[in-house]
Amino acid sequence: MRRSIAAGGLFAAGSLMPVSMLAGQAPGQSVTQSPIQTEDRVPATIVGSKVVQPRRELSVLQKTSILVVGGGPAGTAAAFSAKRLGVDVTLVERYGYLGGLATGGLVLGIFPLYDRDKKQVIFGIGEELMKKLDVLKFGIIDRNKAPVYPTIDAEAFKYVLADMLLDSGITAYLDCWGVDAIVDAKGAVKGAVFESKSGRQAILADIVIDASGDGDIYAAAGAAFEKVKTNIGLISRIGNIDEIDMAVGRGSEDPEHPATGKPGEGRPSKGRVNDLNGHAGNSTPAPHVNWLNMKGPVGDALDVADLTAMELKHRRGTWGNVEKLRQKPGNEQVYLAETAPQLGVRLSRLLDGVKKLTVQDIRSGAKFKDVIGYSGAYANAPEFQIPYGSLVPSKVENVLAAGRCISADFEVADITRLIPVCWVTGQAAGLAAALCIQDKCKPRNVSVTKLQNLLHQQGAYLG
Amino acid sequence: MTFLRRVPRRVIQLTCFVGAVVLVWPVLPWAIAPRSFVQASPFVALASSIATRSISLGVVFALIVAIASSFKKRWFCLYLCPTGFLLENASRTGLRKTRWWSKCPPVGRYVAIFTLVGAVAGYPVLLWMDPLCIFSSPFAVNKATNPISVILVCLGLGVLVGATFVFGMLWCVRICPLSGMQDMLFATRKALWTKLKASTAPQKFGVARRVFFAGAGGALLAVWARRLGAARFRKSDTLLRPPGAVPEDRFAGLCIRCNNCVHACPSKIIRPDTGHEAGLAGFGAPIIRYESDYKYCLETCNACTQVCPTGALTPLDLQQKNKYIIGEALVDNNLCLTALGKKECDACEHSCPYDAVKITWDEEQYIAYPVVNDKCTGCGACEVVCPTTPVRAIRVWTQKPS
Repeated sequence: MRRSIAAGGLFAAGSLMPVSMLAGQAPGQSVTQSPIQTEDRVPATIVGSKVVQPRRELSVLQKTSILVVGGGPAGTAAAFSAKRLGVDVTLVERYGYLGGLATGGLVLGIFPLYDRDKKQVIFGIGEELMKKLDVLKFGIIDRNKAPVYPTIDAEAFKYVLADMLLDSGITAYLDCWGVDAIVDAKGAVKGAVFESKSGRQAILADIVIDASGDGDIYAAAGAAFEKVKTNIGLISRIGNIDEIDMAVGRGSEDPEHPATGKPGEGRPSKGRVNDLNGHAGNSTPAPHVNWLNMKGPVGDALDVADLTAMELKHRRGTWGNVEKLRQKPGNEQVYLAETAPQLGVRLSRLLDGVKKLTVQDIRSGAKFKDVIGYSGAYANAPEFQIPYGSLVPSKVENVLAAGRCISADFEVADITRLIPVCWVTGQAAGLAAALCIQDKCKPRNVSVTKLQNLLHQQGAYLG
Repeated sequence: MTFLRRVPRRVIQLTCFVGAVVLVWPVLPWAIAPRSFVQASPFVALASSIATRSISLGVVFALIVAIASSFKKRWFCLYLCPTGFLLENASRTGLRKTRWWSKCPPVGRYVAIFTLVGAVAGYPVLLWMDPLCIFSSPFAVNKATNPISVILVCLGLGVLVGATFVFGMLWCVRICPLSGMQDMLFATRKALWTKLKASTAPQKFGVARRVFFAGAGGALLAVWARRLGAARFRKSDTLLRPPGAVPEDRFAGLCIRCNNCVHACPSKIIRPDTGHEAGLAGFGAPIIRYESDYKYCLETCNACTQVCPTGALTPLDLQQKNKYIIGEALVDNNLCLTALGKKECDACEHSCPYDAVKITWDEEQYIAYPVVNDKCTGCGACEVVCPTTPVRAIRVWTQKPS
């Protein structure tokens, strides 16, 4: 009874309000006031000792073929690649900009991109995006200078993604947080629920790509996952830095720009950190600006209390570190330009997929029939193949994972979470979803040959 | 007649030479073949047994050689010695055909005595002059990572062949300690056989004096070299020996520079020292250097400890080897990409096979940096993946008592 009234009211408000607003608005004049009204929703109530939210019908914001949840490196790569096959794509992003951790998280280093022979192994959408940054002034530095990794500018990358999205024909909703999955009676995913300034709404879709980073949608749909806790940091940018010590600027694995600081005096002491030359970060395309990475303590990325503590403590700690940096002679003019809008969450949920990529696979150089791309070499791990099976949940239908929440064990996920690898899994998930629409099949039944052909056509590297 | 007698000897020599190459190469699926080959020398077997106060199974063949040589003078040299075979041919094609060396004193015997008395003091001084050891060394050339190592492993045999080509058989007949030892064995056996017939008393006095001086010299040098080695080790920060190495005061003496360990190492991290690390006394002895990318002391390998003929490297099984402390990894945070906030890097933590390196968050300083715990063996896995150049932020240093 109550539900239907509430729902009816909501629709009425939705259809009437814009009309009334437009009617009262003279051209070029902004409306500062609207007629007094009340929300037609029923708020949560207290029943006994529990807080209860009443059942309610959700307005369907959109029906689409492919819904991509998350507009970070994986989500944007998925949306762009799928849209190119002429499929209907909708993209939803929690923040007010695209790029996720690559922009809002200030993870500006595009790493790992190369194999052990310093040959680039990640192309496709990622390479396309970097080519767009190439032509921008202050867009990207250290391109094609293996083993030095490129560093991008966050604002330039936001611009490139916005520019591409506006021209792509993808329907996008920003400032819109995916909070729940929509499943049918058999448990297959049919869309997702969103919270935004427009309230709680639904988007129905044939295939959902979970590029949320935390696997929020597949977890809500009942897919099995592994929860991991690791370090959570907060990256920042500091200004006026190249006036102090150019040697601390560039990547120290670059023979052209050798060592960071001077080596300490002889034998290092055990354990304790000695007097640092300067906790000064690494150069970015913006002149006189360095980005400063932070490892941070171990925290639970799915716990709001942990996240809040990190947001606050990291900003206090960063300010303190910049003050310490300023105390060194020559560094007096260094200032904190910004702390990243987003926390540097590394890993949270890891999907239990059709194939779990393990560290043994990497060490043994495993080759997969359903390879969808490569990750570059990192530390003692050589470059390795990523199978399509690591994007597909072991049980739930109609959903694909992309980005850092794919199916891999902790040690491998610590590599597949990095920006260029997210481009790889994103692009593959987007194309696989488009194939599902075209061939009317489930993600787990996608023709691997067709998928690999499409990836080739879009310039991806499969070995 | 002479011709007929000479042919079979050359055939035996050639067969033994090929056999030696097969053992040292090693083409056999027998990991300790190179060790057994060098241990076949009674000189090596005896001196190393004395110096290490232990007897290994490998000395059995040396015992056979010793007994045979005491009955047939220089039996080993004439038939078995691959170095002798090489030098004989070098001399045959060489410049000096006369037997001018016959006037030279029998230096080899005194070298042998010198070394054996040194061995009693734990430091077999001139054991590296053994011909089988010299023969074995150049086979390590395929594991040499730089031109200096190539020169060092080939030095002994190269010098001998060259000198024999120019000067004739001087080495084999007068200097080689193994031939000198065989001579002594033969003479001793003969003397016992003839019930200590007093034949040449005045000459014997001369011999006894020389023997005494050789022995005393060996003992003094051994004591001095041990003190020197220990002092070197205390001073050094970068002296890393292969796993299983005996303490540094004895290592340079026990090691005979056969380079079997260099040859055995799949990672090519062992190389002969130019003397830079351990001085003249340690010249040519193996040290570890982590310089090539991704090449460290593998947690799946104990090959070098299995091939040492003298016990300078104690034979260790895999489990023991993985507990042997080669050195300790220390971090220079002024170079570390993580400590400086330059990169997302945890290469050292990722690559450590023993969970000994942890990137640790320091709440007080609000930065993270690698911390090495007691599980570190100094295998170098972290050092070889550390991306900073030209100096790596994490390096293995000589372990010091804390």
